[in-house]
Order: sequence, then C-alpha cells, then structure tokens
Amino acid sequence: MEKIIGEPKKAFMTGNETVAWACLAAGADIMFGYPITPQNEVMHYWTRLAPKYNRGFLQTEDELSAGFTTCGAVQAGKKAFTATAGPGNVLMQEPFGMAEAMRLPVLSIIQQRGGPSSGTVVYSQQEVTLTTYGGNGEGHRIVYSTATHQEIYDYVIKGFNIAWKYRFPTFVLGDGYQAKMREPLEMYDPEDKGIEIIKPYPLIGIPGNIGESREPQHLCNIYSLEEELYEVLMKVSAEYEAISPEIVEFEARYCEDADIIIISHGVVSRAADDAVKILRAQGIKAGYFRPITLRPFPQQQLRDVIAQSGAEHLLIAESAYGQLERLTKQEIYGETVKIDNLFMPGVGIIDYDIIKKVKSII
Amino acid sequence: MSLIRIALAGEGGQGVQSVAEILTEAAYNENQQTIYIPNFGLEQRGGVSIAFIQFSDKRIGAPKFNKADVVIALSGRAVGRTAGYSDENTLFVYDSGFDFDKEDLPQQAKKIIAIPAVDTANQKLHPKVFNIIIMGAVIGLTNVVSFEAAKEALEHKLAYKFEKDPSLRELNFKAMEIGKQMAEKSLQEEVDNND
Repeated sequence: MEKIIGEPKKAFMTGNETVAWACLAAGADIMFGYPITPQNEVMHYWTRLAPKYNRGFLQTEDELSAGFTTCGAVQAGKKAFTATAGPGNVLMQEPFGMAEAMRLPVLSIIQQRGGPSSGTVVYSQQEVTLTTYGGNGEGHRIVYSTATHQEIYDYVIKGFNIAWKYRFPTFVLGDGYQAKMREPLEMYDPEDKGIEIIKPYPLIGIPGNIGESREPQHLCNIYSLEEELYEVLMKVSAEYEAISPEIVEFEARYCEDADIIIISHGVVSRAADDAVKILRAQGIKAGYFRPITLRPFPQQQLRDVIAQSGAEHLLIAESAYGQLERLTKQEIYGETVKIDNLFMPGVGIIDYDIIKKVKSII
Repeated sequence: MSLIRIALAGEGGQGVQSVAEILTEAAYNENQQTIYIPNFGLEQRGGVSIAFIQFSDKRIGAPKFNKADVVIALSGRAVGRTAGYSDENTLFVYDSGFDFDKEDLPQQAKKIIAIPAVDTANQKLHPKVFNIIIMGAVIGLTNVVSFEAAKEALEHKLAYKFEKDPSLRELNFKAMEIGKQMAEKSLQEEVDNND
C-alpha cells in the first residue's frame, strides 16, 4: 500500500475534505460522482488529490449513472466509491439495489440534507430510512452513522474493508453539518495502525476455466423463476443475519442505573452526550445509547442495556420525524419500556433541547 | 477557557467566512478545541452569511447553537437576521457605519455596542481589510486566541498574496491591531442597552 499520510498527522478540515483523504489513505482507485450539495466538496477535494496519486475520477451525467459506474468498476476489481445526498440518494437507490442483488462491494458516502425532494441543502437526518432500507429489496446493507470527523476518517477506511470483506454495499452516513464544519482529527495510514487493508479483486473476467479450475461467478440481478430469486434471497438473508453480530457497533454510557436512556445517532449524539452529562450533574439519572451501525442495528445490545438499567423511559432524539424511532421500535419489539421522542426534522438539536424534553418526561 | 460561542454575520463577500477560518485555524494551532460551521443556502452570492464558531478547552458537542456569547453583525440585514442568537448573556456588536432600523436590535443582550470598522477601513486603511479589522475586534472582545497565533494563521492564509505584495502584510497586521484596540475601547466605554 502506498503511504499517503506518513507519520500520523493532526489536521483541521471539513468533513468532506476528510472523506477525500480517507478514501485516498484507504487506497480507493476511483470516484464516480455527480454534484449535489452538501457533498460537492468530496468531489472537489478528490479531484484535486486524485491526479497527484494516480487515482481516477469520473463525473457522470446523473446519480443513476454515478451509482451504476461504481457498480461496474468494483466488478472490474477497482476500489470505487461515490458520494451523494438528498434527491441524489433517491436516484442512487436503483444502483444500490443492484449492488445488493449482485453483492457488490460499493462504498457510498451520504451527506444528508433536508427533504423531501430538494428540501434544503443544509442538514437533516432524514435519509435514514432511505439509506438503510431504500430500494426494492430487503435492506442488505451496512450503514455506519458517524458523529465526528475522526469517525468519518476511521469509518471510510473501515467501510471499504467491510464492503470488500462481506460484499454488501456499505454506507458512511454523514450530514450537511459534518460535511461543512471544520474540526480537528488525526489522519494516518491505516497499515501503520495495524489495520490490514483488503485488496480489491476482480469479480468477473477472472482466470481459469469454469467447472475445472474455478466456480462460476454468478453475479445476477434478474431471475426467470420466482423460486430462483426466493432461494437466493433466503441464502443472502441468512448470511446477512449471520455476519451481523460481527458488524454491529454502538456506544453506551451512563446506562447502568439510568431512569431514562437517550437514543440518538450521528451528529445528534454529540448533543445527547452533553445533555446526559449536564443532567447527571443535576442529579437526573440519564443514560446515552448510540447505534453506530444503523444496519445492522445493535438490537441485542440495546435490549441488554434496557434490561440492565431497568430504565422506564427511552427518549429518541433525531433531526427527522421518526426515522430512527421506527428503526429502533422494530428492533426492540416486545420491550415494555416507554418510548418518548424529540423529533426535529431538518434542524439541528442541541443539548438544551434534549434536557428540556427529558425534564418534561420525568 | 470554557466554551465560547460566536456568531459572525455579514453580507456575502464581506469575508466573514474567511475570518472564521483564520480564527479557528489559530485556535487549532494553539491546541484548543474548536468547531466552525458556515451557514449555507442555495444562493451563490448575496444574502446574509453567518459563521458559527465555538472555542473551548473541552470537546465540543453540537456544531450549531441557539444563543451566542458574542454576536457580530456587519450589515443592516445581518442585525435583524442574528438578533435571535442573542440572550441576556450575549455581547451584541454591530458596525456603526450603516443605517438600519434600531428596532431590529435584539430584545435581550448583556450589552450592545457599535464599532466603526467600515469607516475605519475606508478612511484609514483600505476597504479590503474591513474583515481583518473585525477579526482583530473579535480578539479584542473575547481573547479567544492570542494575537500572535492569529497573525500566524493570517500569514498562512494570505501567504501567496503577501509574497506578491509585501506591503499587504503590514496593512493586514495593522488592521488587526486597530480592530483589537477598537473593540477594547468600545468595551471600556460601556455603551449598554439603555443608552
């Protein structure tokens, strides 16, 4: 692997710039993209960096094409990625569906903006449902929701590895705030941290004779018979479920004796963390739970936290109208804990908002 | 230093975002925790541009905030647009060089002061360094970064311009110094809400 960073280096930059550097450090070969705010600077920085490191870039005619070209490049054995947001994410659901069907290791960075439709170019957490379960399939995807620039860097690198290891389309779900804000992080070459980078490999056109020296590569997104598709889906579903425990990631803090557990993801979890500390200082037993993977969801971990704490309330805080809430409820079906919510679709949430809500509940 | 939140607002093109970039870069170089987020919308230019900046010695949470410790409004429209970020703990600063409806000033503020940055830039220095005067003023008002660190960050940001025309260095540093003094003087004068 080519060393990009050298000695671990502190940096102060935007989230979009962080994405570009992380893709470079992870050994990405090429980006396909189409402009949309607030992800544009991923493309801008990548196009500045790529020629210096002999990497590629193609601006396609739209997001459908950007998604499909990414699907094509990974089949040719190139570590390819794309980035999009909002209506672009909607358009990309078709190629993402193909990536699910054909088990293509596509990495996509999503910087959520307000919706529906063009909504705002600013910020939201309204692309949770779309990114986890969009498309006409079963949501066989891996979705990391980041909260800091350090995590953007870490999970972009990890995302490529996970995609190529398990061959499910993988997403780093950010938002307009993370895309545009500047904050410090440390950049590094992954192998210097003991992270083994999985080398991309061609999925088609591989050497050897089918049936003699190798199995056929059956990358298929259309079937003649219902039963054929059914068989494949059942097999893939079982595989997805089997690997889920290895993939789920979460954070839980102050939950052991909590009366109320605040559930949030992404950038909102920063406010939740602050809120919990302030509430604790005021004698209110609040806990913090954050799914880092939204797909697969840390279901068992959340159930355990609820059981161990004996908390009576969950408060789900999100910059959307119930997308994380639906995801959470379906995962913890049967729990009797009361679920309250703080829905602020399309706007930021600060510690004050959460504290006020908690105090209105208990 | 505990958390300090600053909302800096002006017309697009006044250089508000550059000031935020330089100040946060300086703070980062001084090993502070800092976050800066621009507001951004559909318009390519024009409209009120706001920079939300936070400095702290501890990890900073949410990137935006509802109420600022210091609001600096650099145009008539920016005053009305940012009044909502002011509460009883906020130092609200505006430029005395433009006319606006005084009713747009915030209902709540710890102190409201006016500084003559536009006039000073136009008459004593150069209109182009207006934003650098403001940067000096932010330092004078808050001490969020040292003057030296700000100078270094400014040097870093404008190195290519200084190389072409070394006199610009002097001009920019002078603007910063004047801005700082202007702010310190305004604070001393204790012009408050009731005046």
